[in-house]
Amino acid sequence: MKIAQSQLFSLRKITMFGFVALTLFTSIFTGFSQAGEELFNTHCATCHKVMDNSTGPKIQGVRKKWLDGGSTEASLYQWVKNWQVAAANDPYAKQVSEWSPTAMSVFGFLSDDEITAIFDYADAYTPPVAAVSVAADGGAGGATEEKSNNWVWIILAIVFSTVILAVGGVRRQLRYAVEETESGAAQNRSYGDELREFIIKNKIAVGIGTLVLILALLVNGYFALNEIGVYHNYQPSQPIEFPHSIHAGINGIDCKYCHNSVEKSKSAGLPTVNVCMNCHKGIQGNTDAQKAQISKIYTAAGYDPEGAGKYTGQGDPIVWNKVHVLPDHVYFNHQQHVVVGGLDCVQCHGDMTKESTARVTPVEELNKIEGNIPLTRPTLTMGWCIECHGSKEVSNGTLNTLNSGYYDEIHRRLSKHGKSLYQRMLEDEKVTVKELGGWECAKCHY
Amino acid sequence: MSMFENSKSIEKMNTNEEYFESRVDMSAPSLSVDEFLADEQTRESSTNRRDFLKFLGFSVAAATIAACEAPVTKAIPYLVKPEDVTPGKANWYASNYYDGNTFASIMVKTREGRPIHIKGNKDFGFGEGGISPEVIASVLSLYDSERLKNPLMNGAESKWSDIDGEISRGLRSAGQITLVTGSIISPSTQMIINSFAEKFGNVNHIQYDAVSYAGIRMANKTAFGVAAIPNYDFSKAKTIVSVGADFLNGWLMSNVYRVQYSKTRKPENAWMSEHFQFEANMSIAGANADTREMVKPSQYASVLAAIAEKVGANTFGVSSGDFKNNENVIAAANALKAFSGASLVVCGSNDEAHQLLVNSINHKLGNYSSTINLNDDINLFKSEDDKMNKFVSDAIAGRVKGAVIFHGTNPVYTHPKGKELGEAISKMSLSVSTASWNDETASKCKFVAPDHHALESWNDYAPTRSFYALAQPTIKPIHNTASAQESMLVWMGDANRAGRESKVYYDYLRNSWKENASTRLGAEMNFEDYWNLAVHNGMTAGPEMSAEIPVMVAGISKVTPKSLSGSGSFEIELYTKSSMGVGTQAGNPWLQEMADPISKITWDNYITMNYHEAKEAGYNVVMDQEHGASLAKLTVNGVSLELPVIPTPGQAKGTIGVALGYGRGENGEQIGKAAFKTKEYGGYEDKDGKRVPIGANAFRFTSFNSTFSYVAIAGVEKLADTYPIASTQFQLTSMGRTSIVKETTLDAYTQDHSDGYNLPYMLMTHHGPEPVSKFDLWESHPVEHIGHRWALSIDLNSCIGCGNCLIACQSENNVAVVGKDEVRRGREMAWLRLDRYYKSSDELAIGTKKEDFTYTGLEKNIDENPTVVFMPMMCQHCNHAPCETVCPVAATTHSNEGLNQMTYNRCIGTRYCANNCPYKVRRFNWFNYPSYKKFTEINPSQDDLGRMVLNPDVTVRTRGVMEKCSLCVQKIQEGKLKAKVESRPVVDGDVTTACSDACPTNAIVMGDWNDTQSSVRKASQDKRAYQALEEIGVKPNIWYQTKVRNHSNEQLRKHQQAVAEKRKHDIEKHAHGHDEAHNDHH
Repeated sequence: MKIAQSQLFSLRKITMFGFVALTLFTSIFTGFSQAGEELFNTHCATCHKVMDNSTGPKIQGVRKKWLDGGSTEASLYQWVKNWQVAAANDPYAKQVSEWSPTAMSVFGFLSDDEITAIFDYADAYTPPVAAVSVAADGGAGGATEEKSNNWVWIILAIVFSTVILAVGGVRRQLRYAVEETESGAAQNRSYGDELREFIIKNKIAVGIGTLVLILALLVNGYFALNEIGVYHNYQPSQPIEFPHSIHAGINGIDCKYCHNSVEKSKSAGLPTVNVCMNCHKGIQGNTDAQKAQISKIYTAAGYDPEGAGKYTGQGDPIVWNKVHVLPDHVYFNHQQHVVVGGLDCVQCHGDMTKESTARVTPVEELNKIEGNIPLTRPTLTMGWCIECHGSKEVSNGTLNTLNSGYYDEIHRRLSKHGKSLYQRMLEDEKVTVKELGGWECAKCHY
Repeated sequence: MSMFENSKSIEKMNTNEEYFESRVDMSAPSLSVDEFLADEQTRESSTNRRDFLKFLGFSVAAATIAACEAPVTKAIPYLVKPEDVTPGKANWYASNYYDGNTFASIMVKTREGRPIHIKGNKDFGFGEGGISPEVIASVLSLYDSERLKNPLMNGAESKWSDIDGEISRGLRSAGQITLVTGSIISPSTQMIINSFAEKFGNVNHIQYDAVSYAGIRMANKTAFGVAAIPNYDFSKAKTIVSVGADFLNGWLMSNVYRVQYSKTRKPENAWMSEHFQFEANMSIAGANADTREMVKPSQYASVLAAIAEKVGANTFGVSSGDFKNNENVIAAANALKAFSGASLVVCGSNDEAHQLLVNSINHKLGNYSSTINLNDDINLFKSEDDKMNKFVSDAIAGRVKGAVIFHGTNPVYTHPKGKELGEAISKMSLSVSTASWNDETASKCKFVAPDHHALESWNDYAPTRSFYALAQPTIKPIHNTASAQESMLVWMGDANRAGRESKVYYDYLRNSWKENASTRLGAEMNFEDYWNLAVHNGMTAGPEMSAEIPVMVAGISKVTPKSLSGSGSFEIELYTKSSMGVGTQAGNPWLQEMADPISKITWDNYITMNYHEAKEAGYNVVMDQEHGASLAKLTVNGVSLELPVIPTPGQAKGTIGVALGYGRGENGEQIGKAAFKTKEYGGYEDKDGKRVPIGANAFRFTSFNSTFSYVAIAGVEKLADTYPIASTQFQLTSMGRTSIVKETTLDAYTQDHSDGYNLPYMLMTHHGPEPVSKFDLWESHPVEHIGHRWALSIDLNSCIGCGNCLIACQSENNVAVVGKDEVRRGREMAWLRLDRYYKSSDELAIGTKKEDFTYTGLEKNIDENPTVVFMPMMCQHCNHAPCETVCPVAATTHSNEGLNQMTYNRCIGTRYCANNCPYKVRRFNWFNYPSYKKFTEINPSQDDLGRMVLNPDVTVRTRGVMEKCSLCVQKIQEGKLKAKVESRPVVDGDVTTACSDACPTNAIVMGDWNDTQSSVRKASQDKRAYQALEEIGVKPNIWYQTKVRNHSNEQLRKHQQAVAEKRKHDIEKHAHGHDEAHNDHH
């Protein structure tokens, strides 16, 4: 718990700061329309960069370039909507189409206003150099400052109490010295003697106080013990500040594109670097901050974007910090839940389209997701699992409504030999996971 | 309160002087507690006891708080994911295994690129994928940390470029090259050797096997003009007579014969084979025999001659002695004659004369048209004993000039004159070994060019003339090794090294297949398809070679069986254990700890001596944790070894047996950490600074007399000392308890309709006798007919006791290796054990008491030549499990699929469950086996490399928890999920256990009992089916099937009939009486 909260604190603070700073500075310095940026990121950023040539040519000043080249703005707009039509009618557009063998996608759905907004954004864009370097430094600091700072408090407490005791001791010695010089008799009483005297004098108060203290400790201890191994809102730092919000959110990439074994295996699979390179060979980042993050993929893949754009063969795997950590004695299978159970990723992992790096979404947030059964236990604890298994239906109604050959057979056996049991199961008009054995130990522990 | 008041008042009452004195005394003790605890020195020291306690308390608290911090777990995805790897999913590859002694078609399970489990390739493999424990365990040897990591030059690690240069130069200037290999069954390797010989000219290639069958080849040469070992087919044999051949374990391709043999052992089939065994040692084949006769090795010739006489075959002048009147010989001969053309006689002797008699009998019976195929002969076991012996004597005499290369052989260990050969090798100018370990031979060689492990390499094999098999790598070479074939090509100058990704031999292999494809290619298939199919299936069949009766060479003169060498009072026969074989994998802890199916002893080899003879001679017959086995000094031809004596029922009197394959690493060679004796608290036993091998090397007892011989005359001298023995079963009999093992004879099974051999246990009630299955002490679990009910059926008739299941279970379920000392304390961790029961003289058959039995007699009066039953025993997954009711923390519970679930993370280790288990199958983790120092040398989990073999789907258990067979619940869940994803019911074959997969005879069948079509359901309803300890009413989900021997036992049959009659009578009587009573009421 402690580690999770403190990490959350530092990480969130830093990432939040980074994002706030990024948005703030870029909007102040560039002063573009918000719509233009969003449109650019959604539709163009896959292949185009604002200021550099990428898979497609740079966008900044493209209107001027076309006009200089003897073409018209209308032709350019036509090009964006469907380049083949433009190339057929405009010799300059024909020339542009030979710029790269990679053909541009068709964006017929963009309105002229939207295209204008994109070009306005691109022309007004200036890279926010100073601002971003601050954010990047902050991010790096966050990665190293991973440790809990509870220890600081404990050490401080020890230091202070030592100081207090030491000062008290000096004071006492001085008092003895005074007493000795004044009365001639040394009253050499220790702390212990004084304490004992105090306790005997205030028997009842001390007794009640001790009792309260012990009870408080026990209660606190009990709750503290319950938090052991609970990854509440756990969001460890990652070697790459991977923004799910951009990939799954803005760009709308399906979760299964990167986590592609989720339907085949027990493990959903972390995207392998070659999957990243499918897109990032072209997308090298628009800002320095993005470039800094994306260049880590190139380092990992052994790819040289500057030179020949070739793989050097010297790769170095990315070491991620695992977020959803189950103990070794727990068996969990994604295929079972996603393919057979038909769950959506969002139901257990939260809405990743709004997240940066992955975190264990707290149960309170998951409960708000549509279609989720409200649960009380913290996410990824056994209580959370079996609470869901206890009320989640395998089928609404009898098992043969599932159109699954497997459950048809179970239905057949139940209705033939276990009628009363089946009726009991169906009292709530559904068959829950628990009723089919989802609460049994050896379903997850072996 | 009142108690304190009282004590005060008592004190007050006793306020006399004495009381006060004592108080005064106490207030002024002569030696205060402080003084006692703290003398001057401790008082002066800066930290006194109280401070220490404070610090201790603080650090405990601090450590507790610190421990609450969860560690950060790392996740490292691939850079470029291999196309066929899905993290979390296993891949299976078809491959083949050959270690010079055993050939097997296997399926290798890999997880994230690591091979973790091996099973037989039952679909396409040779002999339906029959395997042996050694084959399954070889996956662990892959991760042996003492395997060579680099080539060696003069014993020091070197570079390939360096040794290649030296070896090439040396070979070119050698003049004479001797190439000693195991039997080469790889066509491509043979091609390389041929061109190697061509290139260098003077190459003397000697094929040499650890255990030679040259006698068979010589006999076939003499009798039929072909020096071949035929392909036997036991599945067609209605009568099997074996004279000293353990064809179910060790003899020739026994891993395949097991599969064939078991097919003939089903009493419900149209026919069941009758098996006669004449032998000295109690072998696994002997334990399965219907009729077993104990004969000495020196009598094998007479037995064969007697049979030959009876069937009318040529005896070549060998005298049958007294055996012509032996009733078992007569019975065997009659049975052979009754099934002429569908019977089989085999002999385990390596003496040409014996094998000639065998040929003569089989030829006379016409067996060469069915059970013996001389046209499709096997390529294994081509040992050239005479050539090898000449080479060894020349080498010792210093007459071998030039270079010598050893490949796939370890003669310094396996040759009787190995020690002297070793010294001779170290004096040779150029000596090279391609061994994967720096073993006895390799360590004497100047250069070691380590070969890949079989699971790392491409290879092809032709076990017979008509079967071509491919081995494919399942992991990239772990160490800097190179295939031996590539090494030879490099030394010839035909190829260059290409590092760990080298494709040199792969290209060669593929080309040679391409060249030969025309003869093997199926119709209208291009080579790419053909090759891919061959890799996928692991094999391709060549043209069929049908059997035909060969013409026997006329006028074979009289033969004389060789007399046994040596002197003494015992005849010794050397054999191989199903675990250790010829010792190739002596460093494999799974094999070392596997209990021998007959003796049940782990971690040792020993002298097997007749139980009664040993008892009379004063050897210790009662052994346990405190009482070891008596030691004896065994002398054969001047070579002496000290070994413990294990009294073995069924060993022929006047004979002893010793297992080969032990005593590896006599000079502490790097052959694997588990090959050496360890001390009680870890670390190696030490003798002159060297590690001490486990067991003794019985290859020293072999001798050469035109072929290598594994029988001799031995002197046995009893020593005063005893030797601790680690056995997993000291009990010999089942104490006549019919509810454990049920046995009957074929005539009773087929003719009687009384089923007296398998009556349900009845309880007497006021309604009369009722079967125990009708009673429930507890509410029954809703598992029958609803959902799944996982069940096993174990056919005691098919179970031959090979032990495959033991190793497969260990491999699948991460079962810890605990070492000899812990096994000795009864703390072995095996989830599956193979119980072995001998028949006592107080039993009619195993499990059936005689009327005049005594309890001591049941255990002690072992038959001189007892029958044997093997019984695999694992958790019975009782629906009324006694373990579940006594667990205070509900760590063991019942699932609605009939599983007795064990939840490790809940278990607090009270061990109540183990105490309450009637089958004694629960195992307790007394130690943290993956970390405690006692197990460092033997437990592969303590080794960074050895850990790679662990199955990631199964938890590694920690100290203080109970564990037991889970019925491979991880495989059940996997099978169910597969069915769910494919939207279909679970069918037979979806769910298997490791033991049922590994079983070569399909004795163990796993399935869903609630599926009325499943084979386990059908087996459970068979009339042979029963449940172990049925009378205690625990309702297991495991069924056994009665053992049926193809033998007649009039006494047993009568007894079983009488029991059935009585049962019938009891029921009728009561029904009658009840009716009367009923009528009275009216």
